[in-house]
Amino acid sequence: MMISPYYYQLLVIASINAIMALSLNLVTGCAGQLSLGHAAFMGIGAYTAGILTSVYDVPFAVSLIAGGAVAALAGLIVGLPTLRLKGDYLAIATLGFGEIIRVAILNMGITGGPFGLRGISKHTNLALAATAAVLVYWTMTRLMNSRFGRALTAIREDEVAAVAMGIDVTRCKVLAFVISAAWAGVAGGLFAHWFRYLHPSSFAFAASVEILSMVVLGGMGSLEGPVIGAVVLTYAPELLRGVSDFVSRHRMLFYGALLVIMMLVRPQGLVGAGVKGLRAARLSKFQGFGRLQSSKLGQWIAAAMEKVHWKGSTGSDDSCVVNEHVSGLAIGPGTGSTGTGVGRGGGEENAGS
Amino acid sequence: MKSMNHVFKGKKNYARAKFDGCSEGKDHIHNRGKRFIISSFRTVSIAAFLAAVIFLAGCTGSGADSPPASGGSDGDKIIKIGMVGPLTGDYATYGQSVRNGVQTAIDEINAEGGVNGFTLQLIAEDSKGESTEAANAVQKLIDQDKVTAIVGAVLSGETATVAPIAQDSGVLMVTPSSTAPGLTDTGDYIFRNVITDDVQARQLAEYVVSELGLKKFAVLYANNDYGVALKDNFTAKVEELGASVVGVESYLDGDEDFRAQLTKIGNEVDALYIAGYYTEAAKIAQQARRQGIEARLLGADGFYSGKLVELGGDAVEGALFTAGFYSGDSSENVQAFVSTYKQKYSEEPDMFAANAYDTMKIVAQALEKAGNDRAALKAEMANVKDFPGVTGTTSFDDRGEAVKEVIILKVENGKFSRAR
Repeated sequence: MMISPYYYQLLVIASINAIMALSLNLVTGCAGQLSLGHAAFMGIGAYTAGILTSVYDVPFAVSLIAGGAVAALAGLIVGLPTLRLKGDYLAIATLGFGEIIRVAILNMGITGGPFGLRGISKHTNLALAATAAVLVYWTMTRLMNSRFGRALTAIREDEVAAVAMGIDVTRCKVLAFVISAAWAGVAGGLFAHWFRYLHPSSFAFAASVEILSMVVLGGMGSLEGPVIGAVVLTYAPELLRGVSDFVSRHRMLFYGALLVIMMLVRPQGLVGAGVKGLRAARLSKFQGFGRLQSSKLGQWIAAAMEKVHWKGSTGSDDSCVVNEHVSGLAIGPGTGSTGTGVGRGGGEENAGS
Repeated sequence: MKSMNHVFKGKKNYARAKFDGCSEGKDHIHNRGKRFIISSFRTVSIAAFLAAVIFLAGCTGSGADSPPASGGSDGDKIIKIGMVGPLTGDYATYGQSVRNGVQTAIDEINAEGGVNGFTLQLIAEDSKGESTEAANAVQKLIDQDKVTAIVGAVLSGETATVAPIAQDSGVLMVTPSSTAPGLTDTGDYIFRNVITDDVQARQLAEYVVSELGLKKFAVLYANNDYGVALKDNFTAKVEELGASVVGVESYLDGDEDFRAQLTKIGNEVDALYIAGYYTEAAKIAQQARRQGIEARLLGADGFYSGKLVELGGDAVEGALFTAGFYSGDSSENVQAFVSTYKQKYSEEPDMFAANAYDTMKIVAQALEKAGNDRAALKAEMANVKDFPGVTGTTSFDDRGEAVKEVIILKVENGKFSRAR
């Protein structure tokens, strides 16, 4: 073998994580819906595929598809009621769903409950995992450049404006959620047949947050971002093992610090806004930044930041078409503090009703 | 694309139709610029990714040159021993105890001249208590560090994940703490040096039914692998011996309030078997006494911590529990181990440390006979008979399970004493 089993395994995990991050990115990055239960879909796919091959002797390929299908079904069932919620409410609902799945797996007989599911055979290899990751990447590219993808972007930027434009918001969101869940389920199937052992704790809240970190670190809404985020966050803890005794003993501290620094220096992620051209518009969504912008010093900083962020683009306006029209309708988020105020006010109003 | 059209609510509105047409036209122009930027970004990121892969593959190249199945280069006369477990996170105390136990044993062995002239070196890797991390750590120990044997993993879930990896790589792995049933069935390279949940639950049941003559039991178990295994085996043995289990209730790790379960259990039982860890057990004991439940409390090795008495106070007085190690044992080797350990880490060794210490000593004994060879080492491990350690005498059966005596401890005047 050319590559040592250690790095081979890391590449497999990185590929699986890339699928997870890309699929979550469709919901969180592209459609702007914060989901905190993504690992649960992976768990559903993993257990479905694992049980099918180990207990019922179903072929591996079929079990992968079945895992994706069951996860998609779960996505539909969860998505229909919860995606009518917004912001924090949706986050809490998905968080609750994640816990339900974990506790359900813990208390079922066929899943092995707290003992975990053992006796799954090894079918996953790097070629398969990497191919799947590339396939997901390609699917997402096609999706994001489609009308559906632009509809999702519109929803993320301003839901009220999206509705005004005639986008069936709930339908779009649910569809994104189902596609995302299906891919997470496939990733779960790959995970199950690589590690050969499944435990409910692998799909708990912490796992969901880790996937979300990959998306945010890499850059929400872009397609390269989640992949890079997945690779970096898979390798980082492992690379920190080898640096020195002190570093490896406190490696989770460094890992945490790395995340904090990243978010301070590049809140848009490693390859975030540069790609999609959202820049200051996205930044101004943060309340603190909006307030900062209204002060004089803030305006100066904003101007400077805008310059920095616009740098590197070809000078042509490559921001999303939908976004531009939304601004034209004068109810979009805009880049100023007033725009932010309108956007936020609208959101709160909807949440309250 | 047709289905995507359904996403939008048709084009009934004239204005919207016009708007759509407009956007499509513009889209064409915009996409060119966008595509250019995206493609350059893509090139950069793909190049970065490939560079990372090549860099990492390069790292492995140098490592792969050293001879396999031998710990370090022969010139250094070092045998590397791996350890994997949670050194950080929620379960860090268990992992740290195991690491300290192994380190204590290695220091003693090295001070006495090592194994066949080889110095032992411990490489401890953190798993955070997560299965995926544990798998990565074990792969690293085997491929990068070329360890001869691994002591670990610590948690049962970790061990279930990493055992197939050690087995496939032909590296001896001995867990000093994972008690879930069936873990050693993975293969002949996997051993376990700890009394399992089924053994201790059954032995306690036998003791309280046959020797203490208790008849009616209730079980309150933590809903995890540990609690469920204890509950199942305790209940089975009690019923086999003709006594009865009248109530079985569960709780989750971290629960604070057990009054609902205790009310269901009621006041009619002779003894309450708490299948879980000391934190919850202490709270259960106090709430039970407050509800007037005077039943004798029974437990397993999850009770073995000074915290049980600290948190439980008078409520845990008289509690009986099984353990694999008793630091108050008067025998010479136990006292020597306890004082060395206390000196090093300024705390009393727990059962994790004691089992890890014994495990390392047993592995070293097998190494002495087998030499620095992974396959011979595995064969020697299976031959270990009546090893005198701090956790009693240890032998291994043909499945790789340790056969050791189960100690039963009692809380007496706020201290542990040996009941059997």
